[in-house]
Amino acid sequence: MRRLPPIARVAEYSLIAATVSLLMLGCSPNARRAPGASVDRQQQDPAISGNGNILAVIVEQRGRPTVELRDLRSGQRLPLRHLNRQQPHSSPSLSWNGRYLAVITQRGNRRMALVEDRVTGRAHPLRPPGNRDPVRVSLAPDGQRMAIQVSDRGRWRVEMLDLSSVLEPDRPGGLRVTTPQEGP
Amino acid sequence: MIAQSRKEKTGGRTSLLLWNSLLLFTLVGGCSTEDIRPLQNLNSALDRSSDARRDPTLAQEWLATLSSRGGRERIELINLRNGTPVPTPGLNSADAQPVSISLSGDGERLALVQQREGRTELMLYRRSIGALQRLDINPPGVPRQVSLNGDGRTLAVQISRSGRWDVDIIRLP
Repeated sequence: MRRLPPIARVAEYSLIAATVSLLMLGCSPNARRAPGASVDRQQQDPAISGNGNILAVIVEQRGRPTVELRDLRSGQRLPLRHLNRQQPHSSPSLSWNGRYLAVITQRGNRRMALVEDRVTGRAHPLRPPGNRDPVRVSLAPDGQRMAIQVSDRGRWRVEMLDLSSVLEPDRPGGLRVTTPQEGP
Repeated sequence: MIAQSRKEKTGGRTSLLLWNSLLLFTLVGGCSTEDIRPLQNLNSALDRSSDARRDPTLAQEWLATLSSRGGRERIELINLRNGTPVPTPGLNSADAQPVSISLSGDGERLALVQQREGRTELMLYRRSIGALQRLDINPPGVPRQVSLNGDGRTLAVQISRSGRWDVDIIRLP
């Protein structure tokens, strides 16, 4: 049998590895139930942090859709300072280390986006330009931009907002620039 | 003397009024929304390239949305540096209706839920190789919302099983 040249052999092995990888991806992803689930407790609208360690979900609390945060490594529920009220909550979104949680809340009869900074404990209420009610939000991994879906004269639009003057970056590695603020 | 007393009273009232105004301003300021700036050039480019958009998902340099044009909705990936859509070969097919999308932080992977031939499918698209693959759900269920982490290796999926909503965490190769 004729031996293949080394470069052809490398190409052959790469092809086999890629095929096996694709087959594995198609057949058997490794799945588990998110922590915090129970028979009488449903979870909806998941958002995972960039580092994959924190999960936000919407659960019913006394009949009101409320955002809840969990550490996926320990399964522990993480405290939120400003999001025990202003329900219903919807469309959660997390930054890279989960420092920022953006979610749509209700204030009076208006919908409003709110970003909670879990390091400083501050809440940042954000209203889209034109005073429109937000429908869905997505926070950039570093927290410096946000995409907001709004309804404008009967059609859906997506508006991009610059948050760099309001939030400091939450980048991989989790370097904190400010000192945590203890007071509200 | 009477005139001086009146003057002091008036001065006191003015001072009280000023303090009240300051307190009111602080209270209202504390409850008001923050000053955020719309990215005007980007928003104009988004408006120009579609009739309508919904379900945004942001990566560091990318935005994906479900965008409508000519009555048809498709997944569109936009380069945030210049606001222009980029080609995504193999992602949109004529017989599939996207339901939910989520980008990985680097914009390389996109998880989606789509309806095709009466079925609701959980899919993963890898941009660099232009491959769209179906992901199995075990135990079986109907997927709804998806969220990918930064490197696109961990996926959170909202799934309906026997009429109740759960969230599964799926590790991807």
